Amino acid sequence: MMEFLRANQPVFDFFLLTLGFAYSQQVVLRAGVFSLASAAFSCLGAYGCAYLVVKAGLPVAAGVGLGTLIGGLASYLVSLPLARLRGVYQAIATLALVELMVALALYAEPITGGAVGFNNIPKHVGTTELLIAVLVVIYLLHAQSISRIGRGFDALRQDEYVAASLGVSSRREHTLAFISSGLIGGLFGALQSMYAYNVEPNQYGFGYMVTTLAAIVLGGRRSLLGPILGSAIMILLPEVARPLAEYRQIVVGVILMIVVVLTPQGLADTFLAWLQHRRARALAPMATQPPGGRA
Amino acid sequence: MTVLELREVKRHFGGVKAVDGVSLKVASGQVTGLIGPNGSGKSTLVNLIAGVLAVGDGDITLDGKSLIKLTADEVARCGVARTFQNIRLLPEASVLDNVVIGFYRHERSPLYASLLGLPSSRRETRELREQGRALLARFGLAEYEQVPAGGLAYGYQRRVEMARAVASAPQVLLLDEPVAGMNDVEARSLGQIFAQLAREGMAVLVIEHNTRFVAELCSQVHVLDGGRLIAHGSPQEVMRDPAVVAAYLGG
Repeated sequence: MMEFLRANQPVFDFFLLTLGFAYSQQVVLRAGVFSLASAAFSCLGAYGCAYLVVKAGLPVAAGVGLGTLIGGLASYLVSLPLARLRGVYQAIATLALVELMVALALYAEPITGGAVGFNNIPKHVGTTELLIAVLVVIYLLHAQSISRIGRGFDALRQDEYVAASLGVSSRREHTLAFISSGLIGGLFGALQSMYAYNVEPNQYGFGYMVTTLAAIVLGGRRSLLGPILGSAIMILLPEVARPLAEYRQIVVGVILMIVVVLTPQGLADTFLAWLQHRRARALAPMATQPPGGRA
Repeated sequence: MTVLELREVKRHFGGVKAVDGVSLKVASGQVTGLIGPNGSGKSTLVNLIAGVLAVGDGDITLDGKSLIKLTADEVARCGVARTFQNIRLLPEASVLDNVVIGFYRHERSPLYASLLGLPSSRRETRELREQGRALLARFGLAEYEQVPAGGLAYGYQRRVEMARAVASAPQVLLLDEPVAGMNDVEARSLGQIFAQLAREGMAVLVIEHNTRFVAELCSQVHVLDGGRLIAHGSPQEVMRDPAVVAAYLGG
């Protein structure tokens, strides 16, 4: 295992970064918010951290911390108008924000380096730092999910009327979801800038959104295991399929389609639902029959 | 003692006077009935009280405090719980989780404790799950706690929805057609639970089609027709009222 990891360390690092982005995307979806703005928050975190460390001479830890906070602050500001929207309208509005951020990164050349990118960043972050960040985020998301906030998220996602009838404030919870997404997105954007020597605007555009969304759809929208499985598939599958050369894209695409069709809930969520079903059957074999056992 | 009071409440949709000047009182410690034929405005009235629809004119007060400017979640936090005419559960969540979310408005963990997963927040979650189990037992659902709520049979789903509303320990419980589609035995067993809740001090407002169920359960009954109250009193008085008979039989 360790041998394999060492040989494929860049792939593993890329998996960890993708996983972080996927969690930033998942936390809003879990609360019933259809925001695609994670890419924009990561973009801000990445450029913010790179600028603060390279140009302003801040320590790396401070740069990463502030990059995270920039993502969080931006997400709070974005939530003020956009948390009121729902469904596809929210998706389109946040998509526009991502495009806007890419355009800004292209035009603000003195700060961002424009289309050439922000280059010559010393490498300060490696596998260890990425792994620690992922574990901390998983712990915090787990704590959130089993708390009052997570219960509010779950209720809002499944039925907003029911949530309101129980006193769950959609404005408050959706704002919290946005901020969580912004902090996580900003953190991994900042880490990426300290990891990859350079930052380019197109890293935080359409490709980012497709990869993170695909990771969640493949893995699962609810459990924390979902993005782990989904990101692993999204990163590893193209690597494993490398010998197929020019057929690679087709084979990868077909496999993804088959997985989505067979497990629309995502691999991890389908598996966990199956476990829960087994536990429920053991407790109450007649559960899904009407009272009195009539068919 | 009057807990919930409606004074001259109106709500019109364009030219349709869905609720047109309704005044009524709901007292704690008893089950109050609201009956009326289809389209008489019963469900609109529930949605007005719950804050889902905005009140056009008039006032709704809970313990003297006006509710009409509040959003649905604020009304719920004031202590008004409801069930829905078409059952609405969280279909993916287990039966137990569906009930635990009912405690939401009483949870006390501060935000930072929830976010950091501090022991106090975890302890509260554990305690709520225990209380949830106790409530499930009361509604005869103990063995189904792990079943996803969406997979339960209809009668059980009704009970889960009821248990969830009761979990929020409301001052006022609004039940929108709670026994629709149930047979007499099932309806009676639910009715006993409502009566028990009222005895414990809750104000229960039952909106129903089933006049027999209302007659057995309620001490006070209001009759709605065409958005206006046409009668109120004890079930016996109301059923004898010529206006009520005309409204139900289309006289």
